[in-house]
Amino acid sequence: MLLRLTRVAKFYGNRLVIKDVSFEVSAGTVTLLAGPNGAGKSTLLKLMAGLSRPSAGSVEHGAAPDASGDALGYLGHQTFIYPELTAFENLAFWARLHGLAPERCSEEALLAALERMELKRFAFERAGGFSRGMAQRLNLARVLLLSPSLLLLDEPGTGLDTRSMAILHREIAAARDRGAGIVWISHSVAEDLARADRVLAIADKRVVYSGPAADYVPEAVAC
Amino acid sequence: MQTNRLSPAMPLVGIVAGLALALCQYMIFVYAPVEQTMGIVQKIFYFHMPLAWWSLISFLTVFVASIAFLRTRNWKWDALSGAAAEVGVLFSGLALITGSIWGRHSWGVWWTWDPRLTTTLVMWFVYAGYLVLRTLDLPRERLGTVSAVVGIVAFLDVPLVFLSARLWRSIHPAVFASKGGGLEAEMKTTVIACIVAFGFLWVALTWLRAAQRRMAARIDVLATQTTI
Amino acid sequence: MLSAALAIASKDLRLLLSRGTGLVQALLLGLLLIFVFSLSQRVGEVMGPQGAAAIFWLASAFCQVLIFNTLFAIEEANGARFGLLLAPVPVQAVWLGKGIAGFTLLLCAQAVFLPAAIVFLGQTVSPLWHVGLATVLLADVGIVALGALLGALSQGQAARESLLSIVLFPLLVPVLLAGIRVGAAAFADDIPEGVESWLGLVAAFDALFLGAGIVLFPFVYGGEE
Repeated sequence: MLLRLTRVAKFYGNRLVIKDVSFEVSAGTVTLLAGPNGAGKSTLLKLMAGLSRPSAGSVEHGAAPDASGDALGYLGHQTFIYPELTAFENLAFWARLHGLAPERCSEEALLAALERMELKRFAFERAGGFSRGMAQRLNLARVLLLSPSLLLLDEPGTGLDTRSMAILHREIAAARDRGAGIVWISHSVAEDLARADRVLAIADKRVVYSGPAADYVPEAVAC
Repeated sequence: MQTNRLSPAMPLVGIVAGLALALCQYMIFVYAPVEQTMGIVQKIFYFHMPLAWWSLISFLTVFVASIAFLRTRNWKWDALSGAAAEVGVLFSGLALITGSIWGRHSWGVWWTWDPRLTTTLVMWFVYAGYLVLRTLDLPRERLGTVSAVVGIVAFLDVPLVFLSARLWRSIHPAVFASKGGGLEAEMKTTVIACIVAFGFLWVALTWLRAAQRRMAARIDVLATQTTI
Repeated sequence: MLSAALAIASKDLRLLLSRGTGLVQALLLGLLLIFVFSLSQRVGEVMGPQGAAAIFWLASAFCQVLIFNTLFAIEEANGARFGLLLAPVPVQAVWLGKGIAGFTLLLCAQAVFLPAAIVFLGQTVSPLWHVGLATVLLADVGIVALGALLGALSQGQAARESLLSIVLFPLLVPVLLAGIRVGAAAFADDIPEGVESWLGLVAAFDALFLGAGIVLFPFVYGGEE
């Protein structure tokens, strides 16, 4: 178990966003988080990330299977990029902040991570000039550098070109094969269903489906 | 579930405050003798002293309620700290005005670097800013948290402001020794009575405002629930 | 925690000093203040040392409000705040990092303000200058500790500079008074009450608000919108 939510509810002020969510993420699985806009998917992901505290219930993080990796990686539509720094400097900052071991944040390691994202040519250019796809790939490089055991994705594919999208899908699959647990909010559920093992669907502030991806019928909640 | 009705004790405190203040008027103007050198203006002291006193209690209340809010996340503490800050700014503002009139009469200046007056002025600024902060258009949780943090920080500053003002004054000519020294027995009794009476007023006002704040929050809940 | 704080501070300094215009704006505002106040003297008149010290600290106070607003605004642009919060370090590292960066930037600004105050306001440097400098350093620690705590209020761009200064300035009164008194002494070599009590006061202020920052910062800096 990498993550366990028990009867989680969240209020913003007086407004109920989500309630009574119980859910588990285990290693080596991809869970697709589905539901209409405004159903509380992003809120749920922030609760999972520990960025936001549940108003009721509990969120527990399990220990990583191997202690080498960072516990958690979070990839949202916001890129976490400092536009005034170069791609390399951006990556180096996050590596240093997370206190990665020297061999994992050496210049070669960082350049290799950029290479994998096909960004090595732009390593020493200001990240502010990057296109949406490049910026998001840099963001992905940051997350993967941490080699997290739990990977939370909040519509990472929004506005991406096909090449960036392909890289994103490749890395999600690679992370799962490595044994990471992945929770993924996708803007095109029907298309990404094939890439998922499980589905957690929410609508009207509560869970409407939780089970294998194969048995999930998207139309049931598409209202 | 919080109750929607006001406690019946609240109007009672208000009535007691009114009666006590009326009694104080009698004590101030009839019972207590007119002071020799200051004349009738000295009577303002009976207002100034309790106002200054209870404004400090207000700020202490903001401090305690803010800590309680951060620990418990119970909104009644937020309402209390907001109410206490309002009453505190009102009382300290009045204390500044009365103190200024007193200073004009007794030392010939409207303002002096008296440590107590200076501290009151700085606190007035801090808590006036705090009240502005509370009107910001932020999510309720965030506003409550931010207000509580400022409420705590503000009170931590009080002793330092007092000390620095006292040090600062040592470079100016000291215009007076002590303002409360050498009171006659009747005057002392009157001062104590006034402090108690203003205490009732303080409790009544703070209680009322806190209750109003809680009701306003409750109405907000009902309003959002019906619109969605 | 210290290495994370240093990572944040060095990143901020690189952003603001080498490429950004954040510090320039704060510097210009402070210099303008000093210049405008120099107009309060008649031609040939020299401002008293206490007046000059007060203007120096006023410029510093305004400057640090702008500095901390910029430092926290950096993290909002692309949501990097969430990245900082997700790092496996105590959130106080952000406070410390911003504090270190702010301290450095404030010192840089003061290195410009001080000569400007001496030139425009006609001050001299007395044998007490080293005490004056020590007070500047000591006072900056407290100012920065409080600034880094309250600067986080601007998270989500809800509180603007004007509000931050309204809340911050009165709280800074003890340090400002100390800075002005000892600063005047450094200009004029005259401090009848002695510097020890002022330095003690500033040290108490530093200790109090360093403590308050460590305890309270996690409440103001979080992942909630």
